Amino acid sequence: MSVRSGILLGVVLVAGVAAAGPLSAANQYTGVTILTAMIIALAWNIVAGYSGQLSLGVAAFVGLGGYACGLLMAHAGFGWVTAVIAATGLSAVFAFLLGLPLLRLRGAYFAVGTLAAAVALQAGAQLWTWAGGGSGFTLPIDGLPSSVSLLRASVVGFALALAAVLYVQQSAFGLRVVAVRDDERAATGAGISCLGHRLAAFVISGALTGLAGALVALQTLTVSPAGSFSMSWTIDATLYVVAGGIATIVGPLIGVVLVYVVLTQELQSLGAVSAIIEGGLLVVILRFAPAGLWPAVVRGWRLARGGRLARLVDARPGPGVSAKVGEMLASRATKEPR
Amino acid sequence: MSLTILINGILIGSLYGLVGMGLSLLAGVVRMINLAQGDVLVGGAYLAIVLHNRLGWDPLALLPLVAVIIFAAGYLVQRFLLNDILRAGSFAPLVVTFGLSLVLESVYQEVFGANSQSLPAAWGDSAVTVAGVRLESAYLVAFAVGAALTAATWGTLRYTRLGRTVRAAAADPGTARLLGINVERVFAVTFAASAVLAAAAGVITAVAQSVTPTGGLSLLLFSFAVMAVAGMGNVPAAFAAGMLLGAFQAVSVAVLGSGAETLAVYVAFFVVLVIRPSGLFGTREARLT
Repeated sequence: MSVRSGILLGVVLVAGVAAAGPLSAANQYTGVTILTAMIIALAWNIVAGYSGQLSLGVAAFVGLGGYACGLLMAHAGFGWVTAVIAATGLSAVFAFLLGLPLLRLRGAYFAVGTLAAAVALQAGAQLWTWAGGGSGFTLPIDGLPSSVSLLRASVVGFALALAAVLYVQQSAFGLRVVAVRDDERAATGAGISCLGHRLAAFVISGALTGLAGALVALQTLTVSPAGSFSMSWTIDATLYVVAGGIATIVGPLIGVVLVYVVLTQELQSLGAVSAIIEGGLLVVILRFAPAGLWPAVVRGWRLARGGRLARLVDARPGPGVSAKVGEMLASRATKEPR
Repeated sequence: MSLTILINGILIGSLYGLVGMGLSLLAGVVRMINLAQGDVLVGGAYLAIVLHNRLGWDPLALLPLVAVIIFAAGYLVQRFLLNDILRAGSFAPLVVTFGLSLVLESVYQEVFGANSQSLPAAWGDSAVTVAGVRLESAYLVAFAVGAALTAATWGTLRYTRLGRTVRAAAADPGTARLLGINVERVFAVTFAASAVLAAAAGVITAVAQSVTPTGGLSLLLFSFAVMAVAGMGNVPAAFAAGMLLGAFQAVSVAVLGSGAETLAVYVAFFVVLVIRPSGLFGTREARLT
């Protein structure tokens, strides 16, 4: 990983941990919600964006992380920190065991396979009376973290997720993952293990999603089949990443801020209508801006800056109107002295 | 466990066969999975309920009307939305149909409420007893409709000009285009037919059992299981696989009790998907008819 990424991660960690203290309890709670959503979005992006496999099993890992954390605290006497770490590890193991058969499948088969796994786990949790059955259970009250500690833990989790994505974006390993996504045959020809790299991406993503699930459980204090294994985890992850910009680092983060702040908070009172808007948004974005919001912003910024970059952007084959706008901006930028 | 339970399971399974056949046809021809397939079934059921309240017709008389409306809607959706999205690769259609599924489920919930609803029919509660086995008419109708639509789909694909066009477009869209086949239109017709198969199953499901706004997800998994067992594009095998699934579900309810049966079906589906991704009867390549 580059020095710049290291500095970025350090700044995120120090600033996040330091800023957590002075916040009010309500803001600390919101902070945990946003950060866990960001961890889930970054994790989903590793599988869907960089590895190119649509996983509809996000809820399986959120639920698994939550249940593992809660059960370890309630029945094995784990402290919350060790429970979160153990839940993350268990999610990684589960992702490995699930990915081994599922990743031999392609495209829709993988998508529906992960969906089936999530639904099966939810049905299983409902029948598991020892873990509270259909209504779930409450976490033991004495071992819980304070809201500052939980927010700091979320900052650490977020930094981990960011580090994972930066690693995938910048390392030779990440390049191989993307190569497998783009052309499986050529990647195999270059001596890359397709299953191995897909599996690695799936395990990293599963572990991070499980970590987020454990943090969510500590935040909401309960785990239940309907909540922890809810399909909405999968829907939200998809929406965050697709709206913000798939296979980018900043995109999913923007997606979380946009979807969480604008949609979830503003439209909460509307109930089912907000789900209609969420689903509709997925359709509209993929129809008219399939790359998502962030790449569009970057492109606009480059155009506005003009010069060589604008011409580069302009040279790419694209829809007529935006190409013309680019041409206009580029010519103006080169004529006017800055 | 009595024979009645098993036979009723097989009969109702023919509806799983229909909705799975639609999914399988779409996968074989358009090479696309409609993650909203289960919600199309639920939509067909609600449409029939609305039309029944307005017109008071028998569900069987409503069936052609529902089919025409759903066919038109399906054609337009594929023609003006999905065909464009298909060009973006295989990832985008999955996300878009996932989004459509979310929209449909929420709309049903807003309009029809969260409770389950069913469609009344004059023959809905009657039953005949054959050799000591009590068969409900609704389940027999389900089987008859399933068999008729399977035969119609199979016959159309195999013996008509439209069927040859569809098969040509499925085998090689590029060459079909060169030969003057309007592939986009073939895709739209296929999607519409796939939706009609699901919606028809929905109408009968509403008579024989009931529908809920969020029932689409499990129905999607059921129809995917049918496709996974039968192999892509294999119409008669899809019908058979549906009945197999119905029998399996009936047996697991009887043996494990309801609740555990959902888990059993999903686990079985998962195992089939992983062991034989190309289907128990199928080859890796999509075959039509």
